[in-house]
Amino acid sequence: MSSDTNKLSVHASGVEITGLRKAYGSNEVLKGIDLNVAPGEVVCLIGPSGSGKSTLLRCVNLLEQPNGGTIMVGGFNATDPDVNLDKMRQQVGMVFQQFNLFPHLTVLENCTISPIKVLKRKKAEAEKIALGHLERVGLGDFGDRYPDQLSGGQQQRVAIARALSMEPTLMLFDEPTSALDPETVGEVLSIMKNLAQAGMTMLVVTHEMAFAKEVADRVFFMDGGVVVEEGKAADVIGNPQQPRTQDFLRRVLDPTHVDI
Amino acid sequence: MAMTTRQRARMSKTIQIAIFIIAIIALVLAVDWDKAVYAFFSFDKLGPMFPGMILVGLKNTIFYTIISFAFGLVLGLLLALMKMASFAPYRWFATAFIEFFRGIPAILVLLAFGFGLPQAFGTQWPQPVNVMCALGLVSAAYIAETLRAGLQAVPKGQTEAARSLGMPAWRAMVTIVIPQAFKIVLPPMTNEIILLTKDTSLAFILGASMAQYEMTKFGRDGISQIDAGITPLVVAGLFYLVITIPLSLVARKFESRAAKTKR
Repeated sequence: MSSDTNKLSVHASGVEITGLRKAYGSNEVLKGIDLNVAPGEVVCLIGPSGSGKSTLLRCVNLLEQPNGGTIMVGGFNATDPDVNLDKMRQQVGMVFQQFNLFPHLTVLENCTISPIKVLKRKKAEAEKIALGHLERVGLGDFGDRYPDQLSGGQQQRVAIARALSMEPTLMLFDEPTSALDPETVGEVLSIMKNLAQAGMTMLVVTHEMAFAKEVADRVFFMDGGVVVEEGKAADVIGNPQQPRTQDFLRRVLDPTHVDI
Repeated sequence: MAMTTRQRARMSKTIQIAIFIIAIIALVLAVDWDKAVYAFFSFDKLGPMFPGMILVGLKNTIFYTIISFAFGLVLGLLLALMKMASFAPYRWFATAFIEFFRGIPAILVLLAFGFGLPQAFGTQWPQPVNVMCALGLVSAAYIAETLRAGLQAVPKGQTEAARSLGMPAWRAMVTIVIPQAFKIVLPPMTNEIILLTKDTSLAFILGASMAQYEMTKFGRDGISQIDAGITPLVVAGLFYLVITIPLSLVARKFESRAAKTKR
């Protein structure tokens, strides 16, 4: 895998989020988030369900419209109403919890459709690049299959290859392993780890604490729409300072532990 | 007297068979078969209807169906998109249009185009245009609802994935959502074409030159010109089946092929 890893030439870009607010009606989901990711850095967002992590991630490529604050991605001001959203999103790969592969297209077509239609690449060139990424995720021979013929783990690997085929400078992962069977979680995580080692900027919402601790440079713990604690992965997960972080990690790391 | 379940089942079956036999006997005895055969099945006297029935009638029925459907499909897609638009007046217009044309008989719309517009605006459109507009407007109302349901049945995640790959909204719609919606709407759409095929029979109300006759008009003329009961209409009916049954078969074939590649 390591020789494959080197094939990826990453032009990483960073993210700068300041004072980000998002509300659904009167329900405030993000209450002023500051978060930056340096180019090539891997940042994991952890926290309980409903803490706003996924919403934060979805704000970065504007799948959710923020109510306030600024988001800078690469050279783009995502929160500028005049920003060229499509151009910006070409730089930002996104991997979803539910994979969201296109069921009417083959695996290879899933990976080439946007490069061909949006980046106006020649079909042969797009296929060559896509096949390279499919090989990276260990699915080089699966180009002719349809998504429904693949396991969950394989589908998620295709989704990663699909995002990479646009040659993004930043990758967003929204709980990429939460919908997977336990035995296929590892294959997806190891690909993400390789990607991190290749120098990709990654913002990852995850419940996989072992992954976060090992792969992330920094970890943000969110609860109730605010960042409660942030720091080096080993510190936040290994030695949390805030009671809420400690409480959350105790529950996650030892599910049988219950204080009543 | 109490019966076991099996006895009851046997009894029920005996009764059903008995009723069936009695009905057939009654039919044989009560019906004047010479008259009935004359009224419905005097196929041997239909020579004068052909080849016009096929070369003109069948051709025009298919032609009217195709142009009406094409018009209805384009307009229906537009209405479906309007109904999903964020700009409220578009939604109001689409809803009003759909409710109106779905709620009134197609024959009224035909009459409006055939007689109302010429009176009001002095327009003299050729018959096919009147039929296309009238039936197209009516079918657009149904098609719009079918398409909207189909488009909305495609999971939201599909659009999100497409947009996050840098596709503009229209591109995501054309390349990702519509092809998937197509498979969903195929069965109701087949229904719509079949309904439309039959509705073209209403064109007779506008009167027409011989070259514009469709099959029902041929049948009606046949009744008055040929001494064969209503056999000309029976023949017209059979020719409608010649169109609609293959349509169903083709749609079913499409469906099973779609099912194979579906997730």
